[in-house]
Amino acid sequence: MNTGHPKTPTDKPAAGSNVAVCASNVTMDFSGFKAVNNASFELEAGKFLTILGPSGSGKTTLLQMIAGFLTPTSGEITINGKSVDAAPPHRRSIGMVFQKLALFPHMTAAQNVAFPLKMRRFNPKTIPNRVAQFLDLVKLGDYGARRVNELSGGQQQRVAIARALVFEPELLLLDEPLAALDVKLREEMQLEFRRIQHELGVTTINVTHDQREALVVSDDIIVMDSGKIQQQARPVEMYRAPDNPFVAGFLGMSSFLRGTACAGGLVVEGQRVAGTASAAIADGAPVCGAIRAEQIRIAASEAQLGDCDTRLSGVVRDAIFEGERQLYVVALNTAGEAEIRVYHHDPLTFGLFEIGAPVVLGWNTSDMKIFADGGAE
Amino acid sequence: MTSRSQRIVFWSLVWFSIIVLSLPTVIVLGASVTAGNIITFPPQGFSLKWYEQIAMARDLRQAFGRSIHVSLICLAVSVPVGTLAGIALTRFRLRFSSLIQVYLLLPFTIPLIGSGIGMMLLFGSWGILGSVWPLGVALAVINLPFIIWSVSSSAAALDGDLELAAASCGAGRIEAFLHVTLPGVMPGVITGGLLMFVLAMSEFLVSLLLTDARTVTLPVQIYNNIRSIITPDLAAVSSVFVVLALLAVWLLDRLVGLEIFLKSK
Repeated sequence: MNTGHPKTPTDKPAAGSNVAVCASNVTMDFSGFKAVNNASFELEAGKFLTILGPSGSGKTTLLQMIAGFLTPTSGEITINGKSVDAAPPHRRSIGMVFQKLALFPHMTAAQNVAFPLKMRRFNPKTIPNRVAQFLDLVKLGDYGARRVNELSGGQQQRVAIARALVFEPELLLLDEPLAALDVKLREEMQLEFRRIQHELGVTTINVTHDQREALVVSDDIIVMDSGKIQQQARPVEMYRAPDNPFVAGFLGMSSFLRGTACAGGLVVEGQRVAGTASAAIADGAPVCGAIRAEQIRIAASEAQLGDCDTRLSGVVRDAIFEGERQLYVVALNTAGEAEIRVYHHDPLTFGLFEIGAPVVLGWNTSDMKIFADGGAE
Repeated sequence: MTSRSQRIVFWSLVWFSIIVLSLPTVIVLGASVTAGNIITFPPQGFSLKWYEQIAMARDLRQAFGRSIHVSLICLAVSVPVGTLAGIALTRFRLRFSSLIQVYLLLPFTIPLIGSGIGMMLLFGSWGILGSVWPLGVALAVINLPFIIWSVSSSAAALDGDLELAAASCGAGRIEAFLHVTLPGVMPGVITGGLLMFVLAMSEFLVSLLLTDARTVTLPVQIYNNIRSIITPDLAAVSSVFVVLALLAVWLLDRLVGLEIFLKSK
């Protein structure tokens, strides 16, 4: 048990081990309600991990346990090889950016950034230099003397980042700090996080419900739902090869077909649909097939579908203009009139199909993922 | 746009209110500078002789000193208690929190004469009625809701994660309280403290019940003087009170800004 984690910045990752954060079988039980249920994951040093999930999925609870604000009911969390369960938050070497930033309103930007250095007993002579260095890092070099309420939203974000990083923590935690920003500023700050994280190489765990943010900023993504970790993978892998229907539905736009398993696909209301299962599933078992909206081609006739090996006909139920693309909702003529969502991304043929128009859909069998049915969409 | 008639009605109401509210103060201020020997308004001539007189009057001076003494004791009791209670009621999820709130407001719902007599009996049985400090404690108890409100509204305006942020910066619980929570609610503490001071300076009813000839405070002394003979020196004393209160408001504005005071519930 590590009871006296030193308040020094010189605590570097243990040599030989590359795992910075490790959670094993962590459970948080709020009198019967398991906010986090048996979660285990490992995070390599220097990587940017995003915990992604809908509200109530337990992602913030997991983060708070890592920060030390909550103590797990069972399980263990180690940071750089040392168990932190007995260490109170202020004895952990963790910087955190809060959802509403939680800057100290009675201090200037520079005083906010200097606060962790004072609390962690840095040599007072080095503090002003270090504060200036980190204000420069977040491009606020000239704003140190400003009070927090005299700064814009984006500038306050930057102060919060500097405050969390100035003592060179072993780990940086981000608790949805970008959720309240408007889209443009959010995308700018996402890239800022990315840049600063690369520059300092600090191991980072970010919590968000924004799938785009997760894909853009992360080295690694964990998707959580109802207290359980659904999948951990690199962004591309997570997107291309989801482990279950929940992940397939949460990342990107997917359509689902429910039926029973058969050799090389599934049967939906008498219609056989070819697909690929990642695990062996017995014939006749209930299964769920998922296909991404951008992996489907839509056309007026089969000749225009090219080399797609799965072809089904249907009728356009809805057509939604989304700017750079068009979203069609197509009801299949077979398979119990299942609804399939399709992104159409050809500016030359925009507006080609009206609601009610007969169309054919085509996709590659390898893109229709088949899962044992059990999870929610 | 408002019409002309609306503006006339609006401004006449405003001026009527201002005049009605300030008239007593204006009359007292005027009467205090009279050159004559009885309280009249408008004053007869101009002189500061009544101010000179109250400055010389031993009983008034001593009573003023005791009032300051009482107010400081009131502050010493109510500021720590009110600050901690105000922070606890807003920042922590307490069991029976609403019950505690009602209990802390009780002094308001009991008529002052009731709580005054109660304290008189209690202090009498403890044998501490001859001293000045029990009155300070009594006034702190009676006016406690004011400082609790003022601190609570300051505390409620703070980010809920502020203490967690302090912890992640490496601050222990006591450091977090001293460096983050307390400075955060300081506007409320200053507002509440000044309010408590002014209220304790001018409180009359409970002071009357808890003081005797040796321990009279200024408001009680003024009352005693009225009962014998009404002279313009009373107007002068009252004017000093008004100036003290204005001073407190000015101080408040300089320290924390009036809008915080006006916003506090």
